Amino acid sequence: METDKLDTILTRLDAISSRVHEISERQRKQDEFLSEMSPVLKEMMSSATTRLDVLDKKGYFAFARELVGVTERVVEGFSPDDVRKLGDAVVAILETVRTMTQPEVLAIAGEASETLKNADRVEPIGLIGMVRASRDEDVQKGMAVMMDVVRNVGRVAEIVSTQRKRKSAASSQQQDRAARLQAITGSRKKTPLGIERPRAFVPSERKAPSMPLGAPSGCAVPSTKAPVVAAVIEGVGFTTDGHLADAKEWTESLAGRLAEAQGVELDEARWTIVRFARGDFESTGMSPNIRRITQGANVTTKDLYTLFPKAPARTIAKIAGIPKPAGCI
Amino acid sequence: MTVATTKRKVAIIVSHGGLDEVYPGLILGNAARQSGIDAFLFFTFWGLDAITESKVDHLHMNLAGNASSNMPTMLAGLPGMESLAASMMKKQMAELDLPTVREMLQILEQSGAELFACELAMKMFKREQKDLLPEVKDVITAGDFYDLADGAQIIFT
Repeated sequence: METDKLDTILTRLDAISSRVHEISERQRKQDEFLSEMSPVLKEMMSSATTRLDVLDKKGYFAFARELVGVTERVVEGFSPDDVRKLGDAVVAILETVRTMTQPEVLAIAGEASETLKNADRVEPIGLIGMVRASRDEDVQKGMAVMMDVVRNVGRVAEIVSTQRKRKSAASSQQQDRAARLQAITGSRKKTPLGIERPRAFVPSERKAPSMPLGAPSGCAVPSTKAPVVAAVIEGVGFTTDGHLADAKEWTESLAGRLAEAQGVELDEARWTIVRFARGDFESTGMSPNIRRITQGANVTTKDLYTLFPKAPARTIAKIAGIPKPAGCI
Repeated sequence: MTVATTKRKVAIIVSHGGLDEVYPGLILGNAARQSGIDAFLFFTFWGLDAITESKVDHLHMNLAGNASSNMPTMLAGLPGMESLAASMMKKQMAELDLPTVREMLQILEQSGAELFACELAMKMFKREQKDLLPEVKDVITAGDFYDLADGAQIIFT
């Protein structure tokens, strides 16, 4: 047992000593190398310093410093997301650069910029001068080229805008952002100088009608004034223009009395129209005008004037117990 | 509002043919009928275009010299501007569900308003009654107009 242990210890020592030897050898070599190299290195350093000095004098370092500054600004200005997008667009960018650096393009651009050099010597021209110049063949060609450019820009803009629209429709998040931005910056519409006018009333809630008929036209905005009860007849309030003050007080039997007061007899044809007007008012909050009644109750204008000879829409509104119809049509 | 006991009546003269110049007369006439007022319309000079079959759907709007239009007169006179303005106006009217001139004339006729054409203007523009819309009741002279307008309020547009 003892000898076994000793043996292993000896072999290990052996290995370690060989390592030590190896390391000391390397150290020695390095020392030698250094002592040999130091004059060379010194020489190199001094020459490098002079070189760097020359470079510094030439402005390389200042340039590099500025470059770092530029890089920093670029990094600050662009998010990683932007850079990723740039990566996607790099092919397109190179393509554009290639097209723009074609010899023909460069020649044209060079010629054109040559003209700009002499821009200070050009005589100013007005509209007549423009018309006169347009007779020149070169100007005509130039105009054609410009038109082509404009046309292409327009076409691409259209494509891009439709793409953008599709994108924005897809992500509600973006819309949300836009809305928030608008809340911060406010509407872009400038308020005109001068007297401030009260804002026009916009009905806040206009329920869509349940009928296939569309929403009432924009020209028929109902009056915002609360109805004033001008007269109370048999417990029912009427406004100054003879309409029910409160549409909720209307009943079918009351409609008969109202029709009587208007001098018309409520037969089935008239009832259909009155019921339509009543229903339309209940669903839209507005009394229908003649056009809407003809469309919704399926009667011709002529029949309407025959059934209610005196101011049909108003008469119908009175019988249906709803306010006077607004609008011009 | 109390219903007027005396029968009211209006006579509307339409003397211009621009889209924007025709509508006021038509709307006033229609509004009169809706309010139970008798109405008749008298179309003279360029107003004849509004009741001429071949012209009624192609009424234009003139921007040149119109101080209320935002377009500078210089540009408003360019070719195509009138039809551009007219189509823009028609679009806006469609949004408001305003009937076209043709429909307005039909509504007027159905509501009991009478449409008349001016005889002198018809001769000047070399038009006959068959060139006019069927809604037009008759071709009359200025004298006939005054006979018809007896007791009416006259509105010139």
